[in-house]
Amino acid sequence: MNRFLRRLLAPADALLNGLYGWRLNPLYHSGALVVLTFVLLLVTGLYLVFFYRLGDPHASIVRITEQAWLGRWIRSLHRYASDAAVVAVGVHAFRMFAQGRSWGPRALAWVSGLLLLGLTLVLGWTGYVMVWDVFGLVLAREGARLLDALPLFSEPISRAFVGERELPGAFFFLNLFLHVALPVGLGALLWLHVSRVARPGLLPPRGLLWGMTGLLLALSILWPAPAGTPADLLRLPSRGPYDAFYAFWLPITRELPAALTWVGGGILGALALLAPWWSRPRAVERPAPSVVNERLCTGCEQCYQDCPYDAIAMVDRTDGRAGIMARVNPALCVSCGICAGSCAPMGVGPPGRTGRDQLAQIRDLVAARAPAPDDVVVIACTHGAGGVAQESRFDGAPVLPVDCAGSLHTSVVEYLVRSGAAGVLVVACPPRDCQNREGPEWLEQRLYHGREAELQDRVDRQRVRLVYADLAEVGTVAAALELTRRDVGMMGQARREADIVLEAECDLVAAQGLDGRQGPERRQRSQGLEGRRR
Amino acid sequence: MSQPRAWIGGGALAVGMTLALGWLSQVPYDAAGDVDAVVRLAWRTRGTRVEECRRLTAAERERLPIHMRQEEVCQGRTVPYRLVVVLDGRSVVNETVYPSGARADRPLYVYHEFAVRPGWHDLDIAFTREGVPSDTAGEQERERLGERESAAPPRLALTRRVMLGPDRIVLVTYDAEQRQLILKGYGAP
Ligand code: HEM
Ligand code: SF4
Ligand code: SF4
Repeated sequence: MNRFLRRLLAPADALLNGLYGWRLNPLYHSGALVVLTFVLLLVTGLYLVFFYRLGDPHASIVRITEQAWLGRWIRSLHRYASDAAVVAVGVHAFRMFAQGRSWGPRALAWVSGLLLLGLTLVLGWTGYVMVWDVFGLVLAREGARLLDALPLFSEPISRAFVGERELPGAFFFLNLFLHVALPVGLGALLWLHVSRVARPGLLPPRGLLWGMTGLLLALSILWPAPAGTPADLLRLPSRGPYDAFYAFWLPITRELPAALTWVGGGILGALALLAPWWSRPRAVERPAPSVVNERLCTGCEQCYQDCPYDAIAMVDRTDGRAGIMARVNPALCVSCGICAGSCAPMGVGPPGRTGRDQLAQIRDLVAARAPAPDDVVVIACTHGAGGVAQESRFDGAPVLPVDCAGSLHTSVVEYLVRSGAAGVLVVACPPRDCQNREGPEWLEQRLYHGREAELQDRVDRQRVRLVYADLAEVGTVAAALELTRRDVGMMGQARREADIVLEAECDLVAAQGLDGRQGPERRQRSQGLEGRRR
Repeated sequence: MSQPRAWIGGGALAVGMTLALGWLSQVPYDAAGDVDAVVRLAWRTRGTRVEECRRLTAAERERLPIHMRQEEVCQGRTVPYRLVVVLDGRSVVNETVYPSGARADRPLYVYHEFAVRPGWHDLDIAFTREGVPSDTAGEQERERLGERESAAPPRLALTRRVMLGPDRIVLVTYDAEQRQLILKGYGAP
């Protein structure tokens, strides 16, 4: 099912990559966008709470709305940001599920995420009751009806809304208290939510941050949120503006008996909460956590720094030698294999996927079929990479699938170049889309910026290209492959030309006004950079 | 995608999504559906508490431990009421209202809503205490009105012609001070 959902997501990812580039693709930053909306809600909420009056809630909202310079758009921003939060949470949760990030050590994030979602919806609920317009009243009454179906209260709370008497001030006080106190719980839950990821990306990149804030602000100014008709207990709710993000369930539950709503909601909730159990692969297919080979570990701490899930600790050696060594906590390890790519001496990684295993595998492949001198070998992540890894061959190029580009040990690249491949094209997911969070980022640094377990200087960088492509971005990979082939082809030609007697060649160049050697090299350099920038 | 096309497409998509967000944040929705006006019955009364007592026979007393050998055993309960509502000549409710709570010792709650068309409507409501079980030979029944002043009278009734405007709710409720059913809301004459 995950694969099917991932395929649904892929065209949207590809479209937005085309429009905004992967750095600013909002779909890749859904979690961070939720946090951004929370920040906007906090700032605007602090302003609003100064003007809110428990004694006459709706009138105070109207007064805020009448403050043309500040109140109106601040209130609107508060509302639209809360709506954007629901959208972003929806995308984020869907994405995590589609990418199969709902089980194993991620179960804590999954379950706490669902609680965050629930809390967000309840917060919205209390927010609308605070406004105390028709919509607020309908929400309050529906909430009371549902709560009355539970054996919680000695007296039905729905009675407060029949119109016998005015609502007690205590009701609005409790509601306000919840609306102010729940965000504290939200903060604590968020901390728990990201507690198992190292370096959580809590805010989106600047362009996206200001872009989204600007759009919501413009909407707030140009289309301020209405303050609906005041609630009246003895009047039918008139046709009015309803927030579909917080009341999408209302038209359904109002038609159902309260008990059925609880049963239905309970089943859905339980199904979602149990996803870590039912969505995980079968036991035999579940990848095993990483292990450290103590004999090989030098205690360099690189894997400890690179692990995106803080699953590695540095501990005192147990093999009698002095110093420290890495140890993997299997309860935290998601088996992403990124540590395998971090470790120069190849002393860590999931069983069968360490640097040593990767080298052995590539040796066997090369022994079976050595790359032709004009072959560009594609190394592709199985999760994205324009779907390359799903095809055994891509436009005739030999393809080596890896579980995560970040788990690739750079010695594999070196081995391929040394065994005669004209070039190596590494296809990784766009960094913010990495199933394992930081794989492509670390890989890029290992290939080009000397991050530990780096690609050795002796490997000609012009033969190695890194391209980022989402699952549906087949075209991106095809273009990169073509470019790499052309470049290495030109390098081959340049080398052959270098063998020609230089004087004769210089005469020719002088006669034709051409510089046959510099062109491809210069182009090569700029394209190499472009590969990194994309 | 070429740069200008990406700019235009990206801008249009962002603006479109923002507008969609704004619209979905205030969708016109009619929570009342096709209901035009409502007659609502809603009240809460303390029920009448009765204790049914019975003299124990000599044999029954023999079986009890010495310190529990009373002459009389009593069992208390709150008596249910019968609610009969006739709206425009049609009987719409005819039911027994039992006291709430697991031990049936909590107040009685009445809650009914009837969708009606705006205009004049005839309401005839009777809320009558169900019969207290009659004495059986040799058994003495004592009725104690627990919390005498707050318990509802044995019979509450209201017969009235009411006018309801569009979207109006007329509420029939129990006024504990006047100890009678009263009308509230826009439709009340
Ligand atoms: C409501 C507010 C939520 C916020 C603010 C939020 C925010 C975040 C953030 C910032 C991350 C870290 C992303 C990273 O740096 O890689 C994250 C990870 C995660 N979120 Fe959420 N999230 C929310 C709700 C949810 C929901 C509803 C779910 C699913 C039901 C969910 C599932 C996950 C999972 C599974 C991860 C871990 C990903 C991994 O370990 O690879 N989140 N979330
Ligand atoms: S990267 Fe390798 S050598 Fe360095 S600490 Fe980790 S396991 Fe040990
Ligand atoms: S495989 Fe390695 S990098 Fe990945 S979570 Fe496990 S220990 Fe961390």
